Amino acid sequence: MSSAEIPFSESPIQRYLYSHDVSNAPLIGLFLKMPDAVYQPRNEQEVLEILKIAKERKTPVIPRGAGTSGYGGVLPTKGGIIIDFTRMDAFEVDEDKMLIECEPGAVWWDIEKKLNKKGLSLRVYPSSALSSTVAGWIAQDGYGYGSLKYGGIRDNVVKLRIVDFNGVREVEGEELKKYVGMEGTTGLIVRAWIKVKKQEDMRYYAFFVSPNEAEKLVYSGDHYTAFFLDSGYIKLKNMAFGTNMPEKDTLMIATTQRLEGDESIGEEIWNGRFYPLRIKKLGPSLVEAENILPSNKIEEYITLLKNKIKSPNGSEVCYIKDRRGAVLTFILSDERKKIAYPLTWRYSLKAVKIAKRMGGVSYSTGLFLSHESKTLLGKDYSEILAFKKKVDPNSLLNPGKVFPEGIIPFFIRLAGLIA
Amino acid sequence: MKIEKEVEDAILKCAQCFYCRVCPAFTVIKWESVSPRGKLYALRGIKNGVIKLDQELVEDFFRCTTCGACEEVCQTSLNLVDLWEKVRNDLVKDGKAPLVHHKRIRDLAEKFDNPYGEPREKREEWIRGFKYRDSGDTIYFAGCTASFRAPEIAKSTVNLFNKAGLEVAYLGRYEYCCGSPFLRTGQRDIAYEFFKKNIEEWRKRGVKRIITSCAGCYRTLLLDYPKIAKELGYEWNFEVLHSSQVLNKLIKEGKISPRKLDATVTYHDPCHLGRHAKVYEEPREVIRAMGANLVEMERNRGDSFCCGSGGGVKSQFKDLALSMGKIRINEARETGAEYLISCCPFCKYHMKDAAKAEGIEIKVVDLVEVLDELVE
Repeated sequence: MSSAEIPFSESPIQRYLYSHDVSNAPLIGLFLKMPDAVYQPRNEQEVLEILKIAKERKTPVIPRGAGTSGYGGVLPTKGGIIIDFTRMDAFEVDEDKMLIECEPGAVWWDIEKKLNKKGLSLRVYPSSALSSTVAGWIAQDGYGYGSLKYGGIRDNVVKLRIVDFNGVREVEGEELKKYVGMEGTTGLIVRAWIKVKKQEDMRYYAFFVSPNEAEKLVYSGDHYTAFFLDSGYIKLKNMAFGTNMPEKDTLMIATTQRLEGDESIGEEIWNGRFYPLRIKKLGPSLVEAENILPSNKIEEYITLLKNKIKSPNGSEVCYIKDRRGAVLTFILSDERKKIAYPLTWRYSLKAVKIAKRMGGVSYSTGLFLSHESKTLLGKDYSEILAFKKKVDPNSLLNPGKVFPEGIIPFFIRLAGLIA
Repeated sequence: MKIEKEVEDAILKCAQCFYCRVCPAFTVIKWESVSPRGKLYALRGIKNGVIKLDQELVEDFFRCTTCGACEEVCQTSLNLVDLWEKVRNDLVKDGKAPLVHHKRIRDLAEKFDNPYGEPREKREEWIRGFKYRDSGDTIYFAGCTASFRAPEIAKSTVNLFNKAGLEVAYLGRYEYCCGSPFLRTGQRDIAYEFFKKNIEEWRKRGVKRIITSCAGCYRTLLLDYPKIAKELGYEWNFEVLHSSQVLNKLIKEGKISPRKLDATVTYHDPCHLGRHAKVYEEPREVIRAMGANLVEMERNRGDSFCCGSGGGVKSQFKDLALSMGKIRINEARETGAEYLISCCPFCKYHMKDAAKAEGIEIKVVDLVEVLDELVE
């Protein structure tokens, strides 16, 4: 399986290296199958060629950005071809239209640095911006810095150029929902147009408040971004960073407005924003649970979860503009402990259950939570599934992701029942 | 390949966040097996018996310049440079390495006490014409590269010390390779032999302070030698200084006063001097003292992009080294500077090669050369 021109590898080592993400779910490896090859296309034409090969051989294709998510979205369930978009990382700034036009492998922070030189800035970017890619975050439907004012990446994508087995198409408006958050199951993103904003003089304030008090402050003004770190997380952060922050529940607001908060600690939190995983060194493993909740339920959710989790843990909340928050809970663990580690993973499933009871949803679906897609997508689920079947009748586009398939959803559901 | 505890700890702690994509080798090659994340994940696979070490992966472990860019961004603060050197040493112990050119420089060093295979007496040729003492509490350690390949750096350094009235001794042919090329390429045993030869010579001659103009020697003497001394049971009580630190102090004390350099200058941080030893400001202060217009490259100090010549990459993977050098020289070109100044003979020569290959006209010089011309 080779195309003379496109960089590719069939080496067992490269195939192994391109078959993981940041998760390390127990036992999941039993249900995965090593891919046959890894391709690194350099342009849209080469992506089309790879899809042609995949169609002829009826083999799956798994698109891959930087592999920085933890939902199994880039894990190969049936082998196939990994398409790594590392070499398609170009982007251009359109200052007139206030847009960036990017290839799928463009890295968020590279874009932001270039924008800043022109006095512009991304409206939203992920906490993994130093390495994560444009298409990766769109395919996951992420939230991040700026989501308080500008919503998720979904709200900031203007147009997508898509490659599927039928060729190339460009979509915008209502049709974007068929691709955003779909993990490449309906087509591969080869170009994206994303809104940018003028760079602003931002200030960063910290407030030592509970989640309920935080909610009031967050939505009391026109702020750019806000995130909340609970005392458990600050404690772990102090241990991992060697810092000496007050070990209290803390809200950080980034805003152009003047507020009465602690600017020194606010800036400290802001400057460390790309390093949420630094606490992993205390683990050495980290289990994560991430759900989106109505902002008035966050305190209750964190308290309930905290009472159930026996291992050291901490939570971080990223506030979203429509009075919701993405709550990410980190639980320290040790993958070498064969019983304790899987038991710790149960908490991430338990967290979804608790969140749903409170009107929340899982943050994403990927492979591990594909059975949550119906809840997450709501009324759009049937329409997008029908579309998927139309454009990908043999389910070769990233099978098992978003739309449940095979034994893994059953296995996860079973684990969820035990949880 | 046996995965020892130190390596296993790093495997477990790696967050797989891929911030280490800044790796110069990955930037050029674009396959994860050369990236820090990829190498750690490969070691995990080897440990778990999922993949087997092959020759290509062994070579990938040696495609790293040990520049330390990965350490700067690592979410879990792993000591990655030490780790890569340990893995290389483990590969050598397992008989999977050294690679052919690394073995060649070792063979030469065993015979001639330097990796260039030059006769020992040639080491001191550059000092002809200078008056010097061969013992004293402060010595100038020229290093193999300045001695045999870049004598202008050694000469300028000593010239400047003389102009400032700073008395430094020089050991001539009794200066030995510091061992850096061997520590970086997993051949620690021969580096230990050079350590012993050097330290014994320094003791014999009453040395207390060592000044070097080579970033590689500086890193080795400053960071590696105290650890080796501890390991081998030697007492370590030497002060190690880089020439840029000494010259900056001499300027501040008014012992040398450079004329104005009416030019735009950019500065390349050698990895061994900058990221490894955190000497970022002294060379810049010297450049400012020259009155030059210092413009920074986009990536500077801790974010600086490696020139590509370190860690044994230039000797074993010439094309890869040159590709990295081309990236860096283009970053220098973008500043519009007339001079690209560095503080390391390896960086200077490699970036000169890269400038030639790219057809870029920029004066690539060592800090001491420029300063020497400006000081009466």
